[in-house]
Amino acid sequence: MNGDSPLLLIGIGTSGARIACGVSRAFGEGLRYVLADTDATSGQLGGPFALLGGDRLSGRGAGGDVVAGRLAVEDSVRSLDEHLEGVRLAVVVTALGGGTGGGGTLEAVKHLADRGIPSVVFATTPFTFEGEDRQRNARGVMSMIEEAANVTFFLPLDKLVGETDNMEDALRRAVDTVAGGVTLFWRLVEKPGYIRLDAERLRHILSGAGRGRFATVTVQGPGRAKEAVDALLRSELLATSSGPVRTTLCGILAGNDLLLSEVGTIADGVRNSFGGLAFELATVNDEATFSGRLSVVIMLFESAAKPEDAGKPGGVMSSRHRKNRGVLTTGPNGRGRFKNAEPTIWNGEDLDIPTFIRRNISLDF
Amino acid sequence: MSNFYAALEVGTTRTVLAIGETEDGGRLKITCKAEIPSTGVRKSQILDIAQATQSIKSVLQKIERQQAEGGTKVTIGNAFLAVSGQHVKSSSAVGTTTVEGSRVTDDDLNAVLASARSGAALSKGRELLDIVDQDYVLDDRGGISAPKGMSGRVLRLNTIHIHADRNRIQDARTAAEAAHLEIREPLFATTCAADAVLEDHEKKNGVLVLDLGGGSTGYAFYADGYVVTTGVIGVGGDHVTNDIAHAFQTTNAQAETLKTAFASAVIRPVDGEAARVKVERGENSLMDTRTISRRALDTVVNARLLELFTVIRETLEDQDILHRLHSGVVLVGGGARMREIDTLAEQVLGANVRIGRPIHVDGLDNEEFPAAYATVAGALLYAHRNYEEKSILDGLFGRFFK
Repeated sequence: MNGDSPLLLIGIGTSGARIACGVSRAFGEGLRYVLADTDATSGQLGGPFALLGGDRLSGRGAGGDVVAGRLAVEDSVRSLDEHLEGVRLAVVVTALGGGTGGGGTLEAVKHLADRGIPSVVFATTPFTFEGEDRQRNARGVMSMIEEAANVTFFLPLDKLVGETDNMEDALRRAVDTVAGGVTLFWRLVEKPGYIRLDAERLRHILSGAGRGRFATVTVQGPGRAKEAVDALLRSELLATSSGPVRTTLCGILAGNDLLLSEVGTIADGVRNSFGGLAFELATVNDEATFSGRLSVVIMLFESAAKPEDAGKPGGVMSSRHRKNRGVLTTGPNGRGRFKNAEPTIWNGEDLDIPTFIRRNISLDF
Repeated sequence: MSNFYAALEVGTTRTVLAIGETEDGGRLKITCKAEIPSTGVRKSQILDIAQATQSIKSVLQKIERQQAEGGTKVTIGNAFLAVSGQHVKSSSAVGTTTVEGSRVTDDDLNAVLASARSGAALSKGRELLDIVDQDYVLDDRGGISAPKGMSGRVLRLNTIHIHADRNRIQDARTAAEAAHLEIREPLFATTCAADAVLEDHEKKNGVLVLDLGGGSTGYAFYADGYVVTTGVIGVGGDHVTNDIAHAFQTTNAQAETLKTAFASAVIRPVDGEAARVKVERGENSLMDTRTISRRALDTVVNARLLELFTVIRETLEDQDILHRLHSGVVLVGGGARMREIDTLAEQVLGANVRIGRPIHVDGLDNEEFPAAYATVAGALLYAHRNYEEKSILDGLFGRFFK
């Protein structure tokens, strides 16, 4: 484990811990990470572990209760501090809908912001079959995480698996997919390439970038660069857009057989397909890991990063100072005049958002 | 010479300052009050100290102007502060002592009281607003109100500690001090309001007070004469306004007008001209004057208030309290002015609901809606009951007569 790395991976909740462990296994030596959960059994996954809400929940977990999860993390979020020394950017992996991930991630991210540490959150949202309660819990907290974190990637589990997967396979595969994606992201930063993206550069790009879309693809064989671009174009994770892309971050990871023409094909293909006023390219050449294979990581942001804010105290563009990205006077998510006030959360729902919106009540105007 | 007190409420929608005076018969009377719309406050939290200071200055000037018009010059030096907001919490604490002799004496009572008070160790960042003594437990016998002289070995006192975020209170103090007003004591707004509007027998039978404020809703349940549980939900009348603004794409001012002039908590069957509500073109608005459906307006308001009362109902159910509302529910605060809100509350909470009015304080008889002043009335009542023996010469006020 690399204790000097300025990047820290934090897995929150049981699923978050599993994803972080998956990243750790895939990445190998050099990954700095910590698992944080209210369930003590997550500590048996190996690696640094912070038990959250031990006094409140006695290590038994939040039992799917988002309020219990939130309170537990609120109680003990400072237990993460010993892992935050020298950290310049935190990557949080978590699963929304459940207790600790769904309830506590917001508190953890707010704590990071208070410590001046920018955060990038990769959060899965529940499968449809998990039921409306979990979906609602996830929806309720997404906008708040988005406000507190610098960058958020919400990954619907439905889109990470195939329709033919059974439930157990689907869950495992979803965790593997997210872990794989985050691992590639990590390699981009931690493994030097010909076109390097270091932690400071990444931090600069991501400060205040807002909600993003994220996808990875791995291909091999002849014509792999073109195939990678085509696969990204088909990716459901990149399909949902609420506005024009302002910043595109593209990473190419391959072995020593990576050709300059392949870099050009991918860069041009991504730029032409997804656009973006700013385009950042990074490559990683890692023969041991990628021999014969080529992976592409792409991040699309629909709001402009604000580099001028990155240098402010702590380097974090606080959500309180983040410009309203919507067009309605009441704000894009309806928190409107309450957007700067402490949210009111009830059963995982943000009660500051108009009730008729959350209840899907149609109005006969 | 009568005693005078001042109570300040820096709310989400309005800042209120009231002066109370002890009458010859010993009752308290509100002799003067003033209010202005608040700025810099959201969800009962001060977000802009300078704006909040200006609000306090303005309301001070207004009340002093009113007094001057009546031929009196008053300079208000300090005030009791009514505190609300979802940062206000309560927690239980139990004091314990071993009875020295075979029967409980005054010394035992003092000892158990001291024990309960020492249990008020709050976590960092919290400030105590009130300690409410509930009942005594002597060995295994609970519900005792006066244990002196009773036999037993171990005496316990159940209490509730009501506390708030220290920084939020300090923000209010800072704003007030910048307006040259010292905060005498912070008080919990909801229990203040309850003390102003409840009869003693209601407190004994079981009654819930809902303080419907602009930024939050406080609740306090009384039974056997004392506060059993209390808390604050961070939803208030401002949320109704925000929902209307969002649904109909209006300014907040337009939404406020729609809420106060037309909306109802219960969706009413209407037709003809009454089925449409006119939205006047607002200042700097791009939209022309138009009409909206009254039913849609009521639907938005009903959804919000139904949810709020449901949250309260579930909170009470969790504490096994809902079935104990024998004296019903009393609504106070500006939010209680909403049409048919009592009907909706009755439907959701399954108890009789009435709009409260301060009954232990005089001077509000001519008010159109006295429930809106229950909080400041209760804060003045607290001052009256706890500081009555102190003369104004003690410095509660500097008062100068022309």
